[in-house]
Amino acid sequence: MDLDSLFSCFASTSCVITQTTSGFIIGMLLFLVAVGLTLIFGILKVVNFSHGVFYMIGAYLALTVYQTTGSFPLALLAGGFGAALVGLAIERAFMSRIYGANPLMQILVCYALILIFDDLARLIWGGDFRSMGMPDVFQVPPVFIFGGVAPPYYIFVIAVAAAIAIVLALVIARTRFGKIVRAAAHNPAMVSALGINTVAIYALVFAAGCLLAGLAGALAAPVRTVSPGMGFSILIESFIVTVIGGMGSIAGALVGALLIGMLRTFGALGFPLFNEGLMYIFMVMVLVIRPSGLFGKEAA
Amino acid sequence: MRALSFSRALALAAIVLGLLFALLSTTANHALMDFVIRLASLAIFATSLNLLAGYGGMVSFGHGMFYGFGAYFFALTMQRAGVSIPVAIVASILGSALLAAIVGVICVRLKEIYFSFVTLAFQMLIHATILAAMPLTGGDQGLRGGVPRPPFLGLNLSNQKQLCMFSAFLLIVCLFAMHHVVSSPFGATLRMTRDNADRAAYLGIAVDRVRLKAFIIAAVFASIGGLLQALFVSGAYPDFAYWTVSGEGIFVIMLGGTTTFLGPLLGSVLMLLLNDFVSRFTEYHGLALGSVILVVALGLRKGVGDFVVDWLSARSEADASERTKTTEAAS
Amino acid sequence: MTAALEIRDLQKSFGGVRATNNVSLTFEAGSLAAVIGPNGAGKSTFFNLISGALRPDYGTVRVEGRDIVGLSRAEIVKLGIARAFQVASLFSTFTVGDSLLAAVTSGLDQSERMLSRFPPPQASSRAEEVADMLGLTSKWRTKSSTLSHGDQKLLDIAIALVREPRVLLLDEPTAGMGPDERWRMIEKVREMWTRQKITVVFIEHDMDIVFAVAPRICVLCYGEIIADGTPDEIRANARVIEAYLGTPNAEAPP
Repeated sequence: MDLDSLFSCFASTSCVITQTTSGFIIGMLLFLVAVGLTLIFGILKVVNFSHGVFYMIGAYLALTVYQTTGSFPLALLAGGFGAALVGLAIERAFMSRIYGANPLMQILVCYALILIFDDLARLIWGGDFRSMGMPDVFQVPPVFIFGGVAPPYYIFVIAVAAAIAIVLALVIARTRFGKIVRAAAHNPAMVSALGINTVAIYALVFAAGCLLAGLAGALAAPVRTVSPGMGFSILIESFIVTVIGGMGSIAGALVGALLIGMLRTFGALGFPLFNEGLMYIFMVMVLVIRPSGLFGKEAA
Repeated sequence: MRALSFSRALALAAIVLGLLFALLSTTANHALMDFVIRLASLAIFATSLNLLAGYGGMVSFGHGMFYGFGAYFFALTMQRAGVSIPVAIVASILGSALLAAIVGVICVRLKEIYFSFVTLAFQMLIHATILAAMPLTGGDQGLRGGVPRPPFLGLNLSNQKQLCMFSAFLLIVCLFAMHHVVSSPFGATLRMTRDNADRAAYLGIAVDRVRLKAFIIAAVFASIGGLLQALFVSGAYPDFAYWTVSGEGIFVIMLGGTTTFLGPLLGSVLMLLLNDFVSRFTEYHGLALGSVILVVALGLRKGVGDFVVDWLSARSEADASERTKTTEAAS
Repeated sequence: MTAALEIRDLQKSFGGVRATNNVSLTFEAGSLAAVIGPNGAGKSTFFNLISGALRPDYGTVRVEGRDIVGLSRAEIVKLGIARAFQVASLFSTFTVGDSLLAAVTSGLDQSERMLSRFPPPQASSRAEEVADMLGLTSKWRTKSSTLSHGDQKLLDIAIALVREPRVLLLDEPTAGMGPDERWRMIEKVREMWTRQKITVVFIEHDMDIVFAVAPRICVLCYGEIIADGTPDEIRANARVIEAYLGTPNAEAPP
């Protein structure tokens, strides 16, 4: 425990700004993964324990594409859509068979997928830690706000994630597709009786969730190490985010992700060794006070 | 299916134990003895998970936390307190019961999938705590320096054969005890809360209390599985408390079958054989294991044990109708 | 003598809709009564309030003189109220026999015992008696989930009955049955009532059955009791006729 450095940070504006910026980037990356998880759960009623796999796939694809082509935008697109394609294949081949199956079966299939894809990543990219390096565009001096450091790349990631959050909210609230998706979440039998193809909707939603996770992985590649086990730690964090925010709620995923982001950066100062533990304790506190999460509707 | 009566179960346990002892006393095969020890540890753990998930309908994805906790608690007690092995076992049981009571109070109220991943989060909390408490647990290096194994009651567990016999003994005792729990009125009540918690509440059953008790019992047996592992490897490692232990447990009970009491035992045997087989041929262990899991889960859709039981009961029904036909024809 | 079930000024609203409005009813020990009313009249809410699934906004429910409002479902069961459900609520993996034995065990306060064996020896006589009474003995070893619809409804009642309640609430015992099956079912209910000497209150849609079987009929409409009396009195009641003829979908009393 190192509470002194936590308190001395709070005493200086520059430190608070620096920590908040890193809290934001952690939070926003988490949001992209968690929102897919929460959408898939809300509509497909399946907890995708293998969601981290798509984050990992996004990161590796971005890494490879960036290293071969040197184009970062192309790397982002490859990460996102590559993960979506793999997601679509997985949904058709495996996930679609376990909708409505008992949770034991769902967990088991996801567990198998994690094992398989972590090993596939090792087979293709090797087991060691890889890093992509900061793209040239962003190799410019950081922005200073009140003496706090905000690297341009962080600002870029935060902007991208915020834009996605807004688009997602608009799609779900305003479009016909959003309406169908909400209806399918509520009563799939009715929606398919109306002649709407729920199978296609489910596949699309699953692929969309994977796209967001893959994009998050691609965005994370320049600032994090890329390794076969990277999907699982982000999965656990996204679960915590969805538990805190409330399963199925997009706003909850955003708020939960930012809370965890801040907890991680400030917690790292005060409790360097038990930083992860803080997250679990925070989650337990939320569960005890509000079992359905901050934005959850029905009691869990 | 009606459970065995108490005296029959006891007799069966005694006979199996006797046979095991007879078999083990004649063997000098180290691989076989290691197999028995690893099997005892895994099977006790898996059967306890089945008590929770199969009989209680509480699909924990964090049951491995008690396995890891049992291993660390036992190893630390042996290293630091200098007590005898039975005392340390009892202490580990009490310790894990206390931990389970705290975790359980929060978790048992949660429904299905929420329960699954909140237990998973607790598992990761325990794992993070083990990594963080470096001075006590050795952090990511694991607990080193060996677990002392002072002789007790004429047993010397440093001797592989005696450890093997002790493991077989613990396995049979734990299986017998858990079988007794599931065939008691409590076991029936637990299944009622799994089938229809609402109706059980209308019969005056305190559903959450029953679930909490089952959670604690399952945790206690999981910790015994863990401490056996700590005895076997003479140490404790963070991997024992990692989420993969829970995932493996779920696979084992699905592999063996959740509707029969001994399914998880069968699953454990299959799992260990599979593990040994796979690691002999490939370093991509996860790839091979994952593929097998997908085939079993999506192809068979039930455990091997369930498969056999269903097949047997279908056959005996066919026999019965065959007999009725014959009697009808005769009359 | 105190009544078996005494309900006073019972009220319950759901977001401004009065589902139960000032309901006061008294059921004497050993009586048999039917609760009828058009769809949405608040019959099921009424049962939910008495059995503790819902908490009333106002009013008292007394079982043999003891107020049960605010007690847990478990405590209400102990005081002698049991119910069966419109859609049979069973333990799907249990056999008929085990369902009944387990229900008796819960009544013996032994449901959390771990050291003895299930079923406790003293449970079987009651379980067998009830199975016999409702004609389920031949299905003793059949799994609940594979029973026919009618047998599932019977088992649902049997599970409630096996605890020897003083008041038994039956929510549409004949729901989803064909005409002949309905009469067989209600005959069983009446026989059970005669033999067990308990108070039975049932909700029923089939008016032929209600008027043939129930000595007393209570009519609920929009959460209020609009009539309460013998079949003859109900037949002649102007408000009942209006309530039923006013809603063309409901079956009119004969």
